[in-house]
Amino acid sequence: MSLLMIGMTALVGLYMAWNIGANDVANSMAAAVGSNSISVKRAVILAGICEFAGAVLVGACVTDTVRKGIVDPSAISSIPGLAEGEAGALLAIGMGSALLAAAMWLNLATWMGMPVSTSHAVVGAVAGFGIAAAGWSSVHWGKMAQIIASWFISPVAGGILGFTLFTLISKAILGRERPVPAAARYAPLVAFTVAAVVSLSILYKGLKHILAGAEWLTGERAFLAATGIGLVAMLVSKKLIARRLAGKERLPLDEQLESVEGVFAPLVVISSCAVAFAHGANDVANAVGPLAAVVDIIGSGAVKMEVHVPFWVLALGGTGIVIGLATYGYKVMHTVGTKITQLTPSRGVAASIAAASTVLVCTKLKLPVSTTHTLVGAVVGIGLARGLAAVNRGVTREIFKSWVFTVPAATILTVIFFLLGKWLLLETVRCVVVAAAAGA
Amino acid sequence: MSLIGELLGKSPFGPLLEHTRKVHECVKLIKPLAKAAVDEQFDELHRLQDVVSKLEHEADQVKHEIREQLPRKYFLPVAREELDGFLRCQDGIADSVEDFAVVLILRNTKFHPELKADFLEFADQILQVGDTLMAAAEEIQNLAETSFGGAEAESVLQRVAGLGQEEWKADRMQRKLCQKIYSLEEELDPVTINFYEKMLMALSEVANSAENTGDLLREMIIRG
Repeated sequence: MSLLMIGMTALVGLYMAWNIGANDVANSMAAAVGSNSISVKRAVILAGICEFAGAVLVGACVTDTVRKGIVDPSAISSIPGLAEGEAGALLAIGMGSALLAAAMWLNLATWMGMPVSTSHAVVGAVAGFGIAAAGWSSVHWGKMAQIIASWFISPVAGGILGFTLFTLISKAILGRERPVPAAARYAPLVAFTVAAVVSLSILYKGLKHILAGAEWLTGERAFLAATGIGLVAMLVSKKLIARRLAGKERLPLDEQLESVEGVFAPLVVISSCAVAFAHGANDVANAVGPLAAVVDIIGSGAVKMEVHVPFWVLALGGTGIVIGLATYGYKVMHTVGTKITQLTPSRGVAASIAAASTVLVCTKLKLPVSTTHTLVGAVVGIGLARGLAAVNRGVTREIFKSWVFTVPAATILTVIFFLLGKWLLLETVRCVVVAAAAGA
Repeated sequence: MSLIGELLGKSPFGPLLEHTRKVHECVKLIKPLAKAAVDEQFDELHRLQDVVSKLEHEADQVKHEIREQLPRKYFLPVAREELDGFLRCQDGIADSVEDFAVVLILRNTKFHPELKADFLEFADQILQVGDTLMAAAEEIQNLAETSFGGAEAESVLQRVAGLGQEEWKADRMQRKLCQKIYSLEEELDPVTINFYEKMLMALSEVANSAENTGDLLREMIIRG
């Protein structure tokens, strides 16, 4: 019985993950595919690997927020007059309803052609269940405020970073009288940045739940290790770049610029991989956060959720994302790629690093954010640095619309499902929880 | 509904380069036109005027395309007014070359032997002004790639800066040529003088438009 419940929740979670893989991942690799630096097929393979890696290596942070950071589990268990195991049952039903509601809203909005963010939907849904179950005080409003603030701040931060990074690339390399030697000197820094940022996100307060005995690798040691990895990447790329640019210092300007863009092509591929990694780390929680809560409750019979998010839960989410990407995301990636050919590799690098860094920082801060919105912010930032020929102002309006619609819709749907679930399933689930507590 | 898919529009700088190249083709025909006029090869003049007319029309079409592909919802790395002005002014260069060609075919005007050398020299100077501007304007794609800053922008600005002097030289040559025409007025009929004047005005319009286009190119670069 308990296996059935976990299984059903896992199925809905897989479905959410599939959706994320199908629709969202294409945006992560957009810079690499759009600038023609990599074929769609290879992009799908690389994105799959990076999304999965992000999900299992760093995905626990935001998953933790979704399963117990938004709704306080103790608020549920302190509802007066509950029968034994009822708190756990309410929580399990609530999380399940939230997941189902978010998945349904995702489908509905996509079908209606509206922009929608999985992160916003899941956060709204979980908060909705909390309010329906135990009133307004059951929600960690402090954390909610942080989360909502991060939805505004992440695109802006992406924009500032994108503007800054592209201005640096422009001044240090493209704007020089002879871009080729400048690129040979400075482009390796891109490899350093990507490698260091991604390594740091994995290592900083990170690997404890995967590698036993990795506790010593935290704090400043993590910074040192990340810097070291970055330096290795930089030296390797320096050699490869130098080889590729050999003998091209005296070409006319437009040919030099072309060569430099050619050098940025592999760099935009690794930066896009970083975005896919960041996206996997941040968004897997949308699929498996509620699942993690249900697994914990039904497994232990208690409402505390103090154990680490189990590895298999993250892996399941990661797998769902990869499957979604492989089956449907291929098509979306191809379509998006044809529409943003203006994003040359030099621009793509700036946008990707800006987006990946912002999303990874938010992930480590346990905040669920929209990778797509952050990427949009980064691209707008580059446009403001005069790096792009035609940027659509209207997209900001679409982002606002998605904020306004998604959260209330997800909340309302969740409340409906939760009340239905409570009415139909409360007794059944309560028994399972009690049995689990007895057996634990 | 893909936000990323909707985010970027088509770059106007590719079509802008195409427009510049078409106008440059027109400008290059100034020398053959002047030579044919001076040598009184009237059939050749008709053929050249046909070519100019066609090129000018093609440039017009590119101009309309550019305007249509830039709705207000897109923001550009240059001010939209500057880009529009630049396009209009550059188009004016082709218009003036066409005017020159039309003047040459309206009437089989004969050239006074003492005016031939000076006229060709004047046409050369106009060509010089035009060529200088066109070479600078053809850097537009490189300018876009380097975000209208850095060494490339500096280089283009320098080239454009020389236009004022060149155009002034053309002006002075035109005045001298006019004075020479009037000094020979006893030997020339009024209609011929009139047509000489039309030719000179059309050519000096080319130089004027080129100078103004250069100014607008400069505005596009320095004012984001």
